[in-house]
Amino acid sequence: MKATKKVSPVNLSRKLEDNLKNIKDSLGESSDIIIREMKISSNANVDAAVIYIDGLVDRDLVSRDILQPLMFNLQFIKDKVGQKNSSLLGCIKSSVLTVGQVETTENIDSIISSVMTGQTAMLAEGSIQALVIDTKGWEKRAIESPENEISIRGPKDSFTETLRINTALLRRKIRDPNLSLVSMQIGQRSKTDVVIAYIKGITPDNLIEEIKQRLKRIDTDAILDIGYIEQYIEENPLSLVPTVGTSERPDVVTARMLEGRAAILVDGSPMALTVPFLFVEGFQNPDDYYARPFFASFVRIIRLLGFLLSIYLPGIYVALKSFHPELFPTPLLITVAAAREGHPFPVVLEALLMLILFEILREAGLRLPRSLGQAVSIVGALVIGQAAVSAGLVGAPMVIVVAATAIASFMVVPFADTGALFRLIMTIVAGFLGLFGMIIISLEVLSHLAALRSLGVPYLSPVTPLNTSDLIKDTWLRAPLWALGSRPAFLDPLDKKRQSPDQKPHPPQNNPNERKS
Amino acid sequence: MKNRQQGKISLVILLSIISVFIVGCWDSRELSTLSLIAGLGFDLDPATKRATLTYQSIVPSQVKPSPSMGGGEGKQTGSGGLQSIQLDHDTGLSPYEVLNRYTQHGSRIPFYQHTQVIVIGKAAAEHGLYPFLDTVIRNPAGRPNILLAISDNKASDILAVEDGMENIQAVGMANIIKLSARFSKYPAVTCLDFTSRFIGKTTAPVAPIMGVFEETGPEGKRQKKIRINGTAVFKGDKMIGKLNEQESSGLLWVINQIEKGFVIIPEASLEIIGSKTKIIPELTGGKIKITVEIEEEANLIQYNNARNITPDLIHQLEKAQAREIESQVKAVIKKSMALNADIFDFGGAVHRKYKKEWKKMEPRWDDIYPTIEVSVKVKTRLDEIGDINKAIMTE
Repeated sequence: MKATKKVSPVNLSRKLEDNLKNIKDSLGESSDIIIREMKISSNANVDAAVIYIDGLVDRDLVSRDILQPLMFNLQFIKDKVGQKNSSLLGCIKSSVLTVGQVETTENIDSIISSVMTGQTAMLAEGSIQALVIDTKGWEKRAIESPENEISIRGPKDSFTETLRINTALLRRKIRDPNLSLVSMQIGQRSKTDVVIAYIKGITPDNLIEEIKQRLKRIDTDAILDIGYIEQYIEENPLSLVPTVGTSERPDVVTARMLEGRAAILVDGSPMALTVPFLFVEGFQNPDDYYARPFFASFVRIIRLLGFLLSIYLPGIYVALKSFHPELFPTPLLITVAAAREGHPFPVVLEALLMLILFEILREAGLRLPRSLGQAVSIVGALVIGQAAVSAGLVGAPMVIVVAATAIASFMVVPFADTGALFRLIMTIVAGFLGLFGMIIISLEVLSHLAALRSLGVPYLSPVTPLNTSDLIKDTWLRAPLWALGSRPAFLDPLDKKRQSPDQKPHPPQNNPNERKS
Repeated sequence: MKNRQQGKISLVILLSIISVFIVGCWDSRELSTLSLIAGLGFDLDPATKRATLTYQSIVPSQVKPSPSMGGGEGKQTGSGGLQSIQLDHDTGLSPYEVLNRYTQHGSRIPFYQHTQVIVIGKAAAEHGLYPFLDTVIRNPAGRPNILLAISDNKASDILAVEDGMENIQAVGMANIIKLSARFSKYPAVTCLDFTSRFIGKTTAPVAPIMGVFEETGPEGKRQKKIRINGTAVFKGDKMIGKLNEQESSGLLWVINQIEKGFVIIPEASLEIIGSKTKIIPELTGGKIKITVEIEEEANLIQYNNARNITPDLIHQLEKAQAREIESQVKAVIKKSMALNADIFDFGGAVHRKYKKEWKKMEPRWDDIYPTIEVSVKVKTRLDEIGDINKAIMTE
C-alpha cells in the first residue's frame, strides 16, 4: 500500500505540449504506446492528442468512433463551442464521441493507469481536463468447453482469461440484481482486477467482510493466476488438503454461490475460487445434479470408495503382505505368495518404486507436448509395467494394485494431488508399521481434518459437526432436487429456503384423458 | 498462539515417534521368508513315546501356473507328483519340541495361520491328545478353527497321498471334511469344537476318521485316495471307538447338525431340506429319561416304482423315512451306550434343565449314562415331489 501511494498528484496543465511530455516521461519509450496528435475545430487551430496502447484497444473503435468524428465534425465542434460557453472537451464528450463509456479526469496518473488498462485518453490544448474513453478490446480466447471438469449433461462453457467475460457468464446464469460483483485491484505492478461475486441476501455478510479483509491484506507485486490468491487467503496454509475450491465451470460456481458461498474471480485466470470449500464438495460433481438421483448417489459412493482405495490400497497390500499374511483368505495368499516368489525387493520398496514411477509418468505425460504424451504413456504403461513384471523386479499383483490406485486417484479431482501425497505416506507407514501404523496415521489425519476450517466453516461438515438433514440429503447420497428444500445449514446462508416444499411431481388426480369405465 | 502451535507440532512429532516404537519393523514378515503350512500331521510311537510331526507346506513357486508361461509346464498335479507341496518330518519328545525342530531343516519360518487341517495318527489318538491339543490351542499363532481329522493309520501316510483336484492336498482334505458335513454324513470338527467338548467333563469329543484306500486308475495304475470312513469317539483325550457311516449320520441327527443330505429308503430317495432336533431330558424318581424329538422336512427326488404319487403314498413315504431316521439314531445311541461315551451332550441337556441335581450326577455320569432310557420321536414331512406327479411309465 505504501508504494502505490502517490507522491503528489500531478494535474494537467493548460498546455498540451507539457502534458504530452509528462505522459511520455511516465510511459517511457515503449513502442506500443501510440500518441496521435491532430488538429480539431474548423480552422484546425486547436491541437489535440489521443493516447492509447496498441493491442489493448479495439482499433476499429478508436478510428471509427474517436478519430473519425473528431476530424470530420470540425465545423460542428466549432459551432457548438461557439454557441455556449461550454468547454471544448465537454462538447466533444456529449456530442461527438460515439463510445459508450467516457469519463473526465484531471490527473495525469489516472490517465496513465487508464491507458494501461486499454482505455484511450484524449487531451486538448487549453483544457485542464482529459477524456478517458473506454476502448478496451484485445485479442482473447473464445469461450471454450471445460477441459478439466468434464460434464456429460451439463453446459459446455467455461471461464476464459478475460474477467468481464467471466462475470458476464455468471450474470447470464443469475439475472437476479442481487448478484453482486465487488471489484478491487491487487498487485502493485500487475494491478490485477479481482472480483468477489456473491448473491446478496444469501451469502452471509461476515463471510464477504472476511474475504475482503483477506484480499486487502495481500501486498505483492503481481497476481498472475488465481492460485496466487488461493495461497494468500487459505485458512490453514500448512495443511495438505485444500481449503479453497476452484472451478472452471460457471454452472458450478453459480451453484455454489446459490448455496451461500462466495466466488473470487481474477482477471487473467480461467478459474474461479469458491469459499468456503468443504471436504464433501470434492465428491460433488455437476452431473450429480443434472442426472437423476439414483445413479448420482451411487456414483458418489463409488467416488468415496475410489478415493479411499487410491489412498489405502497400496498401503493395505504392503501391510498385509509384510505384517499380516494371516488376514488374506488362504487361496489368495497362495496366489500372492506365488507371485511374490523370487522377487528381490521387499514389498514396500516395490510399492514405492511403482508409485513413484507412476507419478513420474503422470508428470511427464502432463508436461510433454500433446503429441509426445501418448508415446510416454505407451512406453510407461506397456513397456515398463510389463517389463518390470517379466524381468522379475516387481510382482504382477503389485502392478494391478498400482494401476487400480492410479485410476481411482483421478476420480476425485480436487483431492488428486493431496491423495498422491497421502498414498505415499500411507505406503511408507504400512511398510514400517503395518496396519496398526496406518490406523494411527489415519486417526491423526482425521483429527486434523476435523479441526480444519475453511473461512470459519468446519471442514468435515455436515459429517462432523453432524447435521443429519444435510448429511442425508446432499453428502454421500443426493436426494431428488424437489427434496432439497433448504440450502446447506452449515454455510449459514441468510436465506435458508431454496424452494417451496411439496414439489414432488405426481400424476394428475383427475386425468381428463383417462378413459372412464 | 505461537506456543500452542509449537505444542501441537511437538505432539504430532511425539505421536509419530511413539507409533514407531509401539509397533515396528521387527514384526514384519516378508511372504517370501515364510513357509505356509497347509496341513499338519501328529503321530506318536506308543513304544518309544516319541512324537512325530508331519508338515505339508506349500511351495508357492510351484502352485499357480502363470498363464503367460504357457500351458506346457503349468500342470502340477497328476503325473508330476507332489510339486506344489512339500513334506517334512520331525521327531521329538514333546509336540512343542518337535515344532521347534523345524528351523533346523526348514529354510523358512513356519507359518501356521493358514493351516487347513490337522491329522492325528490313530496311535496318537488312542494314547491321548492332551499335550498336542494344548500346544495348538495355547499358541496364539495357530487358529482354533483348524479342522481336525483322525487317521485310521498314521497321519504321515495321509498327508503323503497325492490325490485330489486341489493343488494343495490339505486344502482338498479340508474340503472333503466340510462337504461331508454339509451333506450330513460325518461331523466336521475344529480344534475349538473338539477342545470345548473336552472341557465339558461329561461330553465325549468326536472327530472324523480319514483313511487311505487304493484304486486302479486309468492305464492300470494303482492310485491312492483319501476318504472319510467313520467317526472317532473319544473319552477324555483318548480315542475309544469308531462310528460307522450309519451311526455317524445318526449322531448328526441327534446333535442337530443336519444341513443338507439324503435319506435313502428302499423304495425312494429323499432330499433333506431342513431338520430340527430337540433333546428333552426328564428326571423321574432319580431315573433320567431322554426324548429325542426330530422334525424333518424332505423333498422326493427319486422313486423306484412306476406308480403315481398319491397323498396316501406320500404318507407312506413319510413314515418309511421316519423309520429310517429312527433306526440310524437308535444305532448310534446303542453304540454310544456300549462305549459309555456321551457324544450327544445329554449331560449338558440334563445340566441345563436340572441344575441342582446335576451336581450330584456329574461325578457319577459314567455310571448313569448307560442306564439312560432314550426314546426317539421322528416327525417327517414330504414337501415336494419334483416336477412330475405321474409316473413316466405305467406298470
